Amino acid sequence: MNTNLYLYTSALRDFLRPRRIAAWLIVALILGAGAMQWSGMMRGTSVTEEYGQITSILTFRMLALASAVFSTAVVSQEVEQKTIVYLLTRPIPRWKLLLGRTLASITAVWLVSAVACVAVSVGVFGGGAGLTNPALGRDLATLALGAAAYGGLFVFFSLIINRSMLVCLIYAFGWETATPNMGGYLYYLSIYSHLQSIADHPAPPSALRAMSAMSGALGGNTLAVSTALSILGGFVVFALGLSMWWFSRFEFVPREDAG
Amino acid sequence: MIVLDHASRWYGQVIGLNDVTCTIPVGITALLGENGAGKSTMMRMITGQLRPTTGTVRIFGLDPFANPEVFRRLGYCPEIDQFYEWMTGRQFVQHLARLQGYSAAEASRRTDETIARVGMADRADRRLQGYSKGMRQRIKLAQALLTDPDVILLDEPLNGLDPVGRREFMDLLAHLALEGKSIVVSSHILFEVEQMTRSILLLHRGRLLATGDLRAIRGLIDRHPHRIRLETPDPRAAASYLANLPFVLEILFDPSGEALEVRTREPDQFYNAVADLAVLHGIPIHGLESPDNNLESVFRYLVNA
Repeated sequence: MNTNLYLYTSALRDFLRPRRIAAWLIVALILGAGAMQWSGMMRGTSVTEEYGQITSILTFRMLALASAVFSTAVVSQEVEQKTIVYLLTRPIPRWKLLLGRTLASITAVWLVSAVACVAVSVGVFGGGAGLTNPALGRDLATLALGAAAYGGLFVFFSLIINRSMLVCLIYAFGWETATPNMGGYLYYLSIYSHLQSIADHPAPPSALRAMSAMSGALGGNTLAVSTALSILGGFVVFALGLSMWWFSRFEFVPREDAG
Repeated sequence: MIVLDHASRWYGQVIGLNDVTCTIPVGITALLGENGAGKSTMMRMITGQLRPTTGTVRIFGLDPFANPEVFRRLGYCPEIDQFYEWMTGRQFVQHLARLQGYSAAEASRRTDETIARVGMADRADRRLQGYSKGMRQRIKLAQALLTDPDVILLDEPLNGLDPVGRREFMDLLAHLALEGKSIVVSSHILFEVEQMTRSILLLHRGRLLATGDLRAIRGLIDRHPHRIRLETPDPRAAASYLANLPFVLEILFDPSGEALEVRTREPDQFYNAVADLAVLHGIPIHGLESPDNNLESVFRYLVNA
């Protein structure tokens, strides 16, 4: 195993340590149970529509939350606990260091989101039928792209802002809820809008305004799948490239030691 | 191997290192200074974590900032006491060996070798979170020695080591220096430094105050009257002998009646005279110390000079 691969696998092992991952698995199970209850309360909708609405709200929001948490562990957590010095004094170009750790965090985010997505599907469809849900494969692929997009953005936030977790959470739950519902072209600036277009879940009934707002469908704006894929793909490359450049160019020294 | 040329580093309005020019040769060099003198800033500039605001830093002729070529030949033991606490000492060193670019087998071999070298072979499989300060220092040193580096930078490495550990550590450094390595050891304790090397860089408030042989610097200090405290049950007899010596300027009796404080311009001759006092005149000496032999006094003398 060469150094680049070791960099990725060792970071992934760290992100998937039982103590770190256990909470996410519990959240995934809670989402599955919540989805089952929620689905039971919905009337006048098919099970496929129910799954689409519930997973848009639960799984895709958890994706953003997990991205915020794991992305800050890529660099800023190492800076805060001061162990960054061991990484920065190894003969590894900084961009490779960042890329390896970011890819590991994206993988970890995807894994916990995928477990949540399967749990929601099982909860809505009721048992094994959830595993053969025709939308599941597409959602898992969308979650992978979403993990990369949020990961690229949040890692960049963590490089330029001290204690970036708050900013990431505001973006994930404030910006990402508000902008898809706004008029005009603001929804282009939301990762969530693009993910919803790619996942192509059925729109919620117009009577369910609250659900529409939470799933970003209030504005009724949608992008073509090919457009959403191109924009998100380009954004991932741009965000990761910018982060790698920034990390190579600037100093990352624990704050209290800087004096 | 390490060259700083008018290197300065500012943190906003605060200066961390001020116009330092020096060359660090092969062998052990001590970077001596009080807390906040700029030792760690200088270490971080040499290890490529910080850039100089003005001037240049070169190591092996290269700019060290984020430079993998430099890190292949550099071992760094930081001052920080933070680790990946869930790992064992062996896992930690092996992890860093893998990041150094070694295969799993080679990393394992080097890990075993360096862990044995720092005397941690029997405790390396315990979790880092349970380590004492001294054990943590040894593990940090082990990771710095992994690559058999040409340049080794050790930031306050003796903190937390017991006397036996210090002795072993100093012996190890001496051995490494004999192998032709450049070793920079930072410390704020003059006594520690004197036991390791005579080559020092003396930093004070970011400035390089003195550089070179510690004895020469001591010579500068010794031009000033030096205070020496002598503990004896018979201070009057001791004083009557010492008062006749030409290099003794002043004698003060301690209120306890069991000590003297002497001011002299020739401390070396004075110490010889103390030996005569005990051996030839039979006056018991219970203690001998110089309040001026601390780092603060050295700085005071040099700044005033």
